[in-house]
Amino acid sequence: MSASPTFTGSAPRGTRVRATLRSEWIKLWSVRSVPVSLVATAVAMLLGAWLLGAGYQSEWHEMAASERTSFDPTYACLQSANLAQLLIGALGVLTVTGDYETGLIRATFTATPQRGQVLALRAALFATVVLLLGATVSLAAFAVGQSQFTEPVPHATLGQTGVLRAVLGVGLYLMLIAVFGMGLGVLTRSTTLALTALFGILLIVPSVLTMLPGRGAEGILPYLPAVAGSQVLHVVRSGNSLGPWQGTALLALYVATTGAAALVMLRRRDV
Amino acid sequence: MCAVIERRTAARSARLRAAVVAEWIKVRSLRSLPTALLAAAVFSIGLAVLVCASFHARWDALPAERHRAFDPIDTNLGFLQITPVFFASLGALVITSEYGCGLIRGTFAATPQRGLVIAAKALLVGVIGWIAATAITCAAFLLGQGRLAGAAPHVGLGSPGAARAVLGGGLYLTLAALLGMFVGVLARNTAVAVSGVFAILLVLPTMVDNLPHKFLWRLTVPYLPSNLGLSVWHHGHLPPDLARPGVGVLGLVAWVVAIAALGTVRVRKRDA
Amino acid sequence: MIEARGLTKVYRDTTAVDGLDFRVEPGHVTGFLGPNGAGKSTTMRMILGLDRPTSGSVKVNGREYQGLVWPLHQVGALLDARAVHPGRSAYNHLRSLAAANGIARIRVDEVLETVGLTGVARKRVGGFSLGMSQRLGIAGALLGDPGVLLFDEPVNGLDPDGILWIRTLMRSLAAEGRTVLVSSHLMSEMALTADRLLIIGEGRLLADSAMNELIARHSAGRVEVRAADPLRLADDLRARGGRVEAGADGMLLVMGLGSVRIGEAAAAGGHVLHQLRDVTASLEEAYFRLTEDSVTYRAPVPA
Repeated sequence: MSASPTFTGSAPRGTRVRATLRSEWIKLWSVRSVPVSLVATAVAMLLGAWLLGAGYQSEWHEMAASERTSFDPTYACLQSANLAQLLIGALGVLTVTGDYETGLIRATFTATPQRGQVLALRAALFATVVLLLGATVSLAAFAVGQSQFTEPVPHATLGQTGVLRAVLGVGLYLMLIAVFGMGLGVLTRSTTLALTALFGILLIVPSVLTMLPGRGAEGILPYLPAVAGSQVLHVVRSGNSLGPWQGTALLALYVATTGAAALVMLRRRDV
Repeated sequence: MCAVIERRTAARSARLRAAVVAEWIKVRSLRSLPTALLAAAVFSIGLAVLVCASFHARWDALPAERHRAFDPIDTNLGFLQITPVFFASLGALVITSEYGCGLIRGTFAATPQRGLVIAAKALLVGVIGWIAATAITCAAFLLGQGRLAGAAPHVGLGSPGAARAVLGGGLYLTLAALLGMFVGVLARNTAVAVSGVFAILLVLPTMVDNLPHKFLWRLTVPYLPSNLGLSVWHHGHLPPDLARPGVGVLGLVAWVVAIAALGTVRVRKRDA
Repeated sequence: MIEARGLTKVYRDTTAVDGLDFRVEPGHVTGFLGPNGAGKSTTMRMILGLDRPTSGSVKVNGREYQGLVWPLHQVGALLDARAVHPGRSAYNHLRSLAAANGIARIRVDEVLETVGLTGVARKRVGGFSLGMSQRLGIAGALLGDPGVLLFDEPVNGLDPDGILWIRTLMRSLAAEGRTVLVSSHLMSEMALTADRLLIIGEGRLLADSAMNELIARHSAGRVEVRAADPLRLADDLRARGGRVEAGADGMLLVMGLGSVRIGEAAAAGGHVLHQLRDVTASLEEAYFRLTEDSVTYRAPVPA
């Protein structure tokens, strides 16, 4: 038998990591749901800042004295992050479960058998996009909201203590939620289950705890992922909540744990 | 002439019956639906019992203003602030799960009258939803009041306003399921529909709630589905400025009809 | 080359693949045959490192798939043609796969041209017919110009032109010295495409041989005979131990005696023969004889 010919069309270009990054970048931007959801997030943030800013401005004189003293003009404009987290979290889930539910994941892992690398780099890319977009949109939302406030409504500027941190914190918070959603997506491999888990943890558990009387429930509340993580958005700190960086670190810990569990499952399971 | 019309209506009702039967078979063979309904029931009843038991255990330790503000019915039925999200998500899944796996093409091929398919589904979601919802609120109420008995004030189903709150809760859950279903028709995608449902029922209300209760607030906030729902089932002192119970029911129906109209137009226009 | 040793996959309580040993050599189209549920797809997934063997191993070019850094340059696979994101265009789907293996963008245009999808490359895959999806899957398999190709049911959904095209493609890939493994349950198609066969049933290897050997072995030596006096010849043949059935128009179907011994018997008995012909089985017949004992999901035979 003659020596069997080798078939390697052309030598691969670049390193393994760079190839995976390039591939995941192409995937990220080549489905419509990604740009659509990101634009929707930006619109929700800006519209929310504008409406809420106008609302507070027009009815400031009706507010009680206690409400006025605890008024946080920064958070008032950034609250729509609560809405944006639904979009970004769901998009995070979909970037993973979409692959599993269509079966595309098999093609992905056939092209790159290093499964952990694929998902870790996908998460890194998506997280970076969300961080940058979140921070940029948040700056704009802050500007839109503050432009509504005139005397006597207090007006925040980026130079004040904690304000810049809160504004850029939107990007940080949304980024962590996005990766949380991706981790849950890998663990469940199902859009429905992952969304239920994500929204359950972020929204349902805190509502349930606030219904219970007594110190036990009140004591747990600040340590829940969404409650802890969203402290970074507040300039005026309330009651027994965690500090902004403590809260963010705790949310990051939850997300990292979920991510680690996801990577372990990814390695162990059949695709 | 009359005979023709009669035959035509007869044929139409037969078609609707056939569509309902087809949908019923699909629903019955769907394994995830009973599981999900059971999960919603366990969550709701469990939460009601847990809340009532906690009040029972801590009653003497609670400050006097908590005692004054305490309403045994509202405390018991507090799960109605969360369970509607489950019902609405389930309603949405009835539609989007068919789109997700491409089954909808088969469904529309079998019954090309798409409006009829949606109507049949809505009928089933409404009936199954109402039975499940009312069973859940009744069970939660009876078990919850049982847990309150002994320490905290408690009432029976016969006491004034109790039956209205329980039945109102069931009605709200049913309308939430229908609302979710039509959001599903509109979105045709699980992720979008479920996110939308959470946004409308859970996130939006808490966001706008902090605004001063003035012109803008009064015009919008009481008419959000969750606050209309609150008007329907709430028993004690209603948070100020919310709509009256009758307006609550009408408002919820109006929401369902509006989203149904949008959804039906879209279903007719779009390719499956 | 693909080489399996003691390859086994157990799911909870069912053994999908049970101790497979085989080698798929370059230069041939090797057909991978077996009834539904025999373990073909599981084996293919294990070759591609998607499922982990419970025991044993399977190697591609001497390496485990999981250890390949640039796998598409060595192995191309068509598994499930519908396994694409419906919202992505064919071009972007292939471009992301190419990028993952450092394959130049121009190669994407080349394979699109090869499978005839250039005209619809920018369209969303969700609108593709099954045949177009199949072509897209084949394009993905060809991207890295690999020496080993796996095709799982490649003719599904293709029209007659498409079937002829893929048949020619697979034969020419093998002729270039590549290893080609094709699974299918379409016997007639396999008979035209493959020159070697790997047959499994209930997860076990039933046959690993060249197509013509397999057919010869399972043709069971049937011979058609026409003679001037069929009744007397039948008696003579039965006397020599043959089994004889009467066919149409006085034709005899003889089993258990080769054509040589039949000819000798005819000469000895002074018979006039009009026809003496060895009957070769079709692949389908050979296959059914082979798998008779190992069909997992056999339809109940109507009484």
